[in-house]
Amino acid sequence: MKIEVLYPELCNLNGDIGNIKYLQKCLPDSQIIETSINEQPKFINEEDIALVYMGTLSERSQEIVIKQLKPYTENIKQKIEHGQVCLFTGNSVEVLGKYIENEDKSKIEGLNIFDIYAKRDMLHRHNSFYLGEYEDIEILGFKSQFTMLYGNNEQNYLFKVNMGIGINENSTLEGIHQNNFFATYLIGPFLILNPYFTLKLLKVMGIKEPKLAFEHAVLEAYNVRLKKFKTISN
Amino acid sequence: MSNKKTFKFYITLWIAKVSSFALKILRRNATYFPGKIALQLCPNFLGMLEKPKTIIGVTGTNGKTTVCNMINDILSKNKFDFINNKYGSNIDGGIATTLIQGSTFTGKAKKQLAVLEIDERSANKIYPYITPTYLVCTNLFRDSLMRNAHTEFMADILNKYIPKETIMIENADDIICSNIANDNSKIYFSIDRLPTDLEKCENITRDIRICPKCYTKLEYEYVRYHHIGKAYCPKCGFKTPKADYIVTKLDIKNKKMTIKTKNAEEEYDLINDSIINIYNMLAVIIVLKKLGFSQEKINDSFKGLKIVETRFSQEKYNEYEIITHLAKGMNPIACSRAFDYIRTQTGKKAVILILDDLHEEAKGSEDTAWQYDADYEFLNNESIKQIIVAGPRYLDSYIRLLMANISPEKIVYKKDIIEATSQLKLEDIEKIFILHDLYSIEETKQIKLKVKELINNKEEMRKI
Repeated sequence: MKIEVLYPELCNLNGDIGNIKYLQKCLPDSQIIETSINEQPKFINEEDIALVYMGTLSERSQEIVIKQLKPYTENIKQKIEHGQVCLFTGNSVEVLGKYIENEDKSKIEGLNIFDIYAKRDMLHRHNSFYLGEYEDIEILGFKSQFTMLYGNNEQNYLFKVNMGIGINENSTLEGIHQNNFFATYLIGPFLILNPYFTLKLLKVMGIKEPKLAFEHAVLEAYNVRLKKFKTISN
Repeated sequence: MSNKKTFKFYITLWIAKVSSFALKILRRNATYFPGKIALQLCPNFLGMLEKPKTIIGVTGTNGKTTVCNMINDILSKNKFDFINNKYGSNIDGGIATTLIQGSTFTGKAKKQLAVLEIDERSANKIYPYITPTYLVCTNLFRDSLMRNAHTEFMADILNKYIPKETIMIENADDIICSNIANDNSKIYFSIDRLPTDLEKCENITRDIRICPKCYTKLEYEYVRYHHIGKAYCPKCGFKTPKADYIVTKLDIKNKKMTIKTKNAEEEYDLINDSIINIYNMLAVIIVLKKLGFSQEKINDSFKGLKIVETRFSQEKYNEYEIITHLAKGMNPIACSRAFDYIRTQTGKKAVILILDDLHEEAKGSEDTAWQYDADYEFLNNESIKQIIVAGPRYLDSYIRLLMANISPEKIVYKKDIIEATSQLKLEDIEKIFILHDLYSIEETKQIKLKVKELINNKEEMRKI
């Protein structure tokens, strides 16, 4: 099973790489392919990539990534339409939107795959706890970001919000979920923090009977944090 | 904005001075509030207040407190008359407090020298009003992601606000730090290639991996840790600069280093053997040289100087050595450096980790994302026989240790710090390391006491 990590030399902020390390522990026979910024993404031409992953990146790196991915816009769109499994965390989803707006109103054009756009506010960093729902499970995590995402994600949101914010401070719908494309602003070791979601993701990736690494410990940590977050939300 | 003193300025100054006096009478810390209130009442206050003629600023991600403490101690030892924010905060309110306390009732500077630790994130609030004569930048790494985001963000802030007149003293082995304020005059420092340097980086975190000019993957003549080392772009020639002060010989065994400059080669005694503290010493030496100190005077002044105990302490207790080491929570680099330090020390060890940021925890819960940027893998070492994790995030730390392939048999994980410490196995170890956060000083003392109690009990048992 192949997992492609896009641009790890740039998309490596906020401990997001913990997600890939955890998937590797859950899938010891998996092959991690790291695609660097001057290379063509493998999933464009290869059919056997079980997951494409991109983590949080800096604002300047977003611009570099957009430039590198631009020639593959149509291919990426097609891949998402045909069910390619992707997980984008932190601000990485912004490169697939219409544009990213700076404080001075200047705009960086994105790949325009999703009908969303981001606004930067570099003087105000948003930090918050998050509690929400995905299907029948509770999701928790942390947000730390300079941008907010705008646009209508009512038809393709990932999580509902119970505590914290959605794609922006006025939204109660977090992330983007279209076919097998998953994007969330939750940062860090999101898959370790959310073992039940990880099980679902592994199933989407084609694992019939997925097993969690360090199952007992991650479930215990999840339950302790869930309890704490519910106390905070009350 | 005009820096001419206004009536509002004088009123603000007097209120701040009275509040400072009142807090001292009440035996409360007057290290932040007077400055904070002054800046609230008069936002341009720092601009109007007269500053000492010479200002030594120290900024950067790691080491600024240690560098300032060393400079302050040496200046005090040599009877310099100066102000500093040693006991105060390093953000705008703390710096304003220091300057208020160092000024007369008419806003004139009482002293002609200031040593100021300056938080890098506060650059936008400080440098528009204060122009350091010299500004040391120790290094730039990712720090608390909630506050400092990433190094590009920090570098942008520093580049935007550091005054052009300031002479920068920068770490030449840090390709991010050495490119701060490129239009300013600079003095670079470096430590020459060491036997412990590597061909390839073994850290998880490297805050710069591609050339910022042409996006080609950066290469290294050698890597020391993270992005520290001799880096270059094979395509466009972007590289770490040549240093003005270079440690050419490092004799850890005899605790000596030789520093080479354009015109001289000088030997200094080391006060600590960790590379980070050698960089810190190097920065201190340059500052002292700029203040007119000779090599002899600097070396004499270093004698008897110690790294502040809240950051590092070493104590022989019966046949054991107990070492406490600051590893700032939420700062993956500081933790990785501490982990690396432990694994490279001789002897068999036990490690007690209380790295939770209790300040953050008090606000609700700590974001543990930083743990996956920190090299817990360094603790997966044959010489480390036991690892004890305790505190509110003990389960997260336990999982992180498992992710580093550390055998669960080696790990004790409990929320209660004393209960966890009670399980310390003293057999087959010589050293006990206690790694703690800045906000866990009291807990560290309790753990140390418990460790001593366990050692005493063992002695008693042996006698029986």
